[in-house]
Amino acid sequence: MTKAKEKSSPFPKLPDVCVRCATCMAACPVSRVTPRFPGPKQAGPGAQRFRSASEVSVDDWIELCTGCHLCDTVCPAGVPISEMNMMAKAKYLDERGRTFRDWLLVRSDLFGELAARFSKIVNPLMKSRLLRRLLDALLKIDLRRDLPGYEYPTFRRWFGARPAAAGKTGRRKIAYFYGCFTNTNETDVGKAAVEVLEAHGLEVVVPSQRCCGIPRLGVGDLRGAREMGRRNIGLLLPTVREGIDIVFSSTSCGLMLRHEYSRILNLPGAEELAGSLFDICEFLLRLRETDGTSPALRPLALRAAYFAPCHLRSLNIGFPALELLRMIPGLDVRMLEADCCGLGGLYGFKKEKFPIAEEIGKDLAEAAARMKPDVILTDCEGCRMQVRHLTGLRTLHPLQILRDALKPS
Amino acid sequence: MDLRTEVLIIGGGATGAGIARDLALRGIPSLLVEKGDFTSGASGRNQGLLHSGARYAVNDPDAARECIAENRILRQIAPHCIEPTDGLFVSLPEDGSEYRANFIRACGNAGIDALPLSAREALSLEPRLNPRLIGAVRVPDGAIDPFMLVVENVRDAESRGARFLIHTEVTGLIREGPRIAGAHVRDRITGQSYAVAANWVVNATGAWANLILAMAGLQIGLALSKGSMLLTNTRLSERVLNRCRPPSSGDIIVPNDTVSILGTTSVREEDLERYEVTAEEVTFLVDELSKMVPDVKGERFNRAYAGVRPLLRSAETSDDRDISRGFSLIDHEQETGLAGLVTITGGKLMTYRLMAEKTVDFLCSRMGLHVPCITHRQPLPGAGLGNTLKDRLLHLRRQTPASRGEILCDCELVPREAVDAILREGKVRELQDILHRTRLAKGTCQGGFCVYRLLGLLNELHGEREKGGSNVILRGFLEERWKGIRPILWGTALKEEELIESIYKGLFNLAPGGPEQTERVNE
Amino acid sequence: MKHFDLIVIGTGLAGLTAARTAAEAGARVLIAGRGMGALTLFGNTIDLLGEIPPETDIEEGILRWIGAHPEHPYARTGMEGIETALSEFQRLFPPPYSFAAEGRRNALFPTGAGTMRPSYLIPVTMAAGAAMTPGETLIVGFRGFKDFQGDTVSLHLKCRGMNIALPRYGLEGMTALALARLMDEASFRERLGETIRRQMGGERFIGLPAVLGLRNPAAVLKTLENTTGARVFEIPMLPPSIPGTRVFHRFREELIAKNVTVLMGHPVTGATVRDQRCEGIAVQNPPLTAEYRADQYILATGRFLGGGLSAGMDRIVEPLFQIPVFQPGQREAWFGKRFFDPEAHPIHHAGIATDADLRPVDGTGNVVLENVRAAGSILAHHQAIEEKSREGIDIATGFLAATRALAS
Repeated sequence: MTKAKEKSSPFPKLPDVCVRCATCMAACPVSRVTPRFPGPKQAGPGAQRFRSASEVSVDDWIELCTGCHLCDTVCPAGVPISEMNMMAKAKYLDERGRTFRDWLLVRSDLFGELAARFSKIVNPLMKSRLLRRLLDALLKIDLRRDLPGYEYPTFRRWFGARPAAAGKTGRRKIAYFYGCFTNTNETDVGKAAVEVLEAHGLEVVVPSQRCCGIPRLGVGDLRGAREMGRRNIGLLLPTVREGIDIVFSSTSCGLMLRHEYSRILNLPGAEELAGSLFDICEFLLRLRETDGTSPALRPLALRAAYFAPCHLRSLNIGFPALELLRMIPGLDVRMLEADCCGLGGLYGFKKEKFPIAEEIGKDLAEAAARMKPDVILTDCEGCRMQVRHLTGLRTLHPLQILRDALKPS
Repeated sequence: MDLRTEVLIIGGGATGAGIARDLALRGIPSLLVEKGDFTSGASGRNQGLLHSGARYAVNDPDAARECIAENRILRQIAPHCIEPTDGLFVSLPEDGSEYRANFIRACGNAGIDALPLSAREALSLEPRLNPRLIGAVRVPDGAIDPFMLVVENVRDAESRGARFLIHTEVTGLIREGPRIAGAHVRDRITGQSYAVAANWVVNATGAWANLILAMAGLQIGLALSKGSMLLTNTRLSERVLNRCRPPSSGDIIVPNDTVSILGTTSVREEDLERYEVTAEEVTFLVDELSKMVPDVKGERFNRAYAGVRPLLRSAETSDDRDISRGFSLIDHEQETGLAGLVTITGGKLMTYRLMAEKTVDFLCSRMGLHVPCITHRQPLPGAGLGNTLKDRLLHLRRQTPASRGEILCDCELVPREAVDAILREGKVRELQDILHRTRLAKGTCQGGFCVYRLLGLLNELHGEREKGGSNVILRGFLEERWKGIRPILWGTALKEEELIESIYKGLFNLAPGGPEQTERVNE
Repeated sequence: MKHFDLIVIGTGLAGLTAARTAAEAGARVLIAGRGMGALTLFGNTIDLLGEIPPETDIEEGILRWIGAHPEHPYARTGMEGIETALSEFQRLFPPPYSFAAEGRRNALFPTGAGTMRPSYLIPVTMAAGAAMTPGETLIVGFRGFKDFQGDTVSLHLKCRGMNIALPRYGLEGMTALALARLMDEASFRERLGETIRRQMGGERFIGLPAVLGLRNPAAVLKTLENTTGARVFEIPMLPPSIPGTRVFHRFREELIAKNVTVLMGHPVTGATVRDQRCEGIAVQNPPLTAEYRADQYILATGRFLGGGLSAGMDRIVEPLFQIPVFQPGQREAWFGKRFFDPEAHPIHHAGIATDADLRPVDGTGNVVLENVRAAGSILAHHQAIEEKSREGIDIATGFLAATRALAS
């Protein structure tokens, strides 16, 4: 086994401030459902004292960390636990090599376009028991997991095909980062985003963009993530430099673009990009509250539960979607009392991790069962998939409800 | 319960244990008594440095040659007690290139491999060095685990018939005419007193030499020098780092497993039982060593400790460092006519084997035996046990509930099995004995969590014997721990302490005295 | 930029109390901080002033205390302030999981070290601990659950003890949170209750580690009491504290329901001050720094552990506003020579000194910041560890700070 040669040291000097208080242990969704993962206290700063750049990694359990960042949000000392775990995972997998399955899954943006185009064949195929059993046995993609269906035309195509006048030029421009999933699997979220933005008097532009790269981080592929980040920054900076802000509707894409690009990947231009990047609800809230742009919201008689994705918590912007939803008259919207849905992006698709994801998600399923909402709303596509899987309830992005409230009656 | 042996060794440090082993290998029975646990003296309170001798090359070439010879021997016979890290002698601009040149030459003369490195080369090996350095010299320094070294000597000697009694102190020497014929001893735990009859008594008590000699009305000229050290929370360097200048205080950083040991000072000490690390020493060490490794300034420390070295006074000097660290074997019969008693003193940890050799050679010649020493080639038992950092991290692998070894100490990854094994051996009698033999409580929180977890095991060990139960032990542990913690309380270490105090004094309401806290309103 | 009526810096019990108090009064509140404070660490019960002996009426004891300690935080809140704040706290926990005092006195409760400690407001899951008698109590630990040493507890309390292994679940290496979550499952706790019942010897009280459920502790208590027929109580152990975490979650749920903006996970790294008024704070989430403004601010950032106070090699500072910190001289004077000193270590008295309104003052008593108030353990002139006053001070001063902030 050859030792990986990293351009930058795999263990940059991370602050040594852990006081072993174990607060993180009260937040970690993985360690509370399986003893196979020792928990953030030991897996992160604990093991860090034993790691050495020159020694082969033995962190066998490091892959069990979902990257939810909840430990970071509760650590009173500010230990960058997820970052430590990420670095350790990167080194471990660089040395051991990644599976073909992981190679495939992180390139879902490439296959996505293709699958969308041939969605009429792909979708039924993805439901075929035989194929699912093959995928389970050969690639260890758990057959109990519903695979998302593909849609055609893609969001991008749909947007491109819209007549120019529909954009109502002459207004303030706003750029939209849609994210892979919206583009090929949940185009209605993108459509809702565009419609909501337009209802607020904005002209939406959709700059060239690629997958944010967060799936790469999930398998510790820092090099791959950096490459994708570099490309994206190159594509998006011109928009920023024209004075146009960019909004995202996927909180995971948002976390990646706004924070991980600079914090973990140290990409040039990342900071400049971050300054003009906003969560779409955060942006709309600001428009409504401080800029005075407040198109009327008509009543919606619905019982909704709002679920805050883990990555939204890491963005540290509060819960702007919830605040917006509260403005809709007649909408009974309450926070769903559960911290992590358990999917962890691609994590829960993997056979060896599926049971963990299920167990973590139980809390959410129980909370939903107690609340009995008509609809569950959440900003993260991964959470939406997991919530549908766990509860069978109608699950939407808050934008989709917001759009309904903005439609003239 | 009186005992009888050929050679009674007083002192369970490296020297005493080495003598017992040497005797055992030559077929001579011995009994060693130690008032605390092994390495209670200087052997357990040093920087853990396996000298290459380079440090003495310029000033004391004989000592240097002695060191490198023992260095090579120890690497052969005790590889599992040593981390062969190599060392760098670092020259900062103020140290001068002239000393550096002398140093390299002197190493050559003493037979010590010394490879000059440019500043750039040194920095690539040790990125945390002060970038202003003018160069470094690579020498075969290393890190040694003194406790393991001593315990391995003990284990080997025991397997060959030597006997060891820890927690047993000498209360008086037995005199029969012009000869010392043994000693009165007392078990400190049971309080039981008895006598040990012996043909020879070896005083290997290091800094306590005069305490024992006073029991025979004797004294030697001994200066006591306290050296203080700081333990960091993370390992600052892969290698031993030494300032390349005339030996002075605040020169050395020795890596030790997950941490680094910064040292040392040299302060004349009078009171063997009540010495402590002072705030001035701490400030000095941080200031001085940050010149070599700037990160020391903001570094987080886990503990401070001090050891007292016995220095044999040959002339009155003001700097204890000038007194030779060479050792002396004193045959008291020659000086005072009192036979059967020798004192072996001075020296350093890594010359223990040589000191033992000389002592046993002397004893053999007096006994009329012609048995050669073989300790320089007979390896210590237990070689081959994996104890790298990586191996300890591997313990976390066993995650299935059925086979998982319960981790008692999160900071140092010490599993319950390790402690069970020690308890099964049946030789430990106190909490500190367990702590010496594992890395429990040696990590970031210095036992804050793991000692509580250990209590369950200790209840099995002590049962009802301790009045007040295991909380007496817990309180004792916390008080003992405090000595090492108090000197380094600022920054993150202070936060750590707030946590520990809040748990034990706040949440668990442990207080001085105790009994009144267990009374209940409803009793 | 959105403007708030009140910004609370610090998400421990003091900050949470302040934010809730203000939100109830209809203010627009933002609370920002990192961590859950001492709640997840040692927060199990609500200590008011453990120093007051259990025989003494609490009000009498506190009034006497205030008389003897005119600089103590309770002297700022007064007994009335304490009463109101505590009853507001209790209102947040309606039955069945409620907090109550044993009469108007401190009571003694067992700890994970087998000692007893005094406390005031106790959650229903711990209440029976005050009534337990050694001959009639069984202490139940879990084999492999190392953060609660049941044998130590039973040895010191002179009760019978036993350790349970639940083979199907393999408790070796189990964390407190995992165990608490299992307790939330009805089938698990029913089985546990059964297992205990079969091995009981007629005991009237059963003590367990403080893991009796995260989400529904009252239901856990009920099941266990029903199946065993005994009074059940939980016993505080090493961090993390599950009872404390329950309190945290309840507060957070309430704050979100009351439309408080909750920012958790990133430190407040800067504050803009002009003419002795705070004009805004900055929260850092690299690479960005977000700014927030309010009319009033509350600093409830804790002591050293929370980062509210910071000790360099020679001086203690308050890192956010650089408010002068009352302190006992240089490093050598901070701690006593012995760990267990009859006097508390001098450093515990250090902190922010304030006027009657909880506004920070300097060494000469002048107010340093007009629209900032300090609350919780950052305050000087108290030492929560020995006094056993931590939660009481957090709640009472959090309440007072918010009330005064909104009144100005």
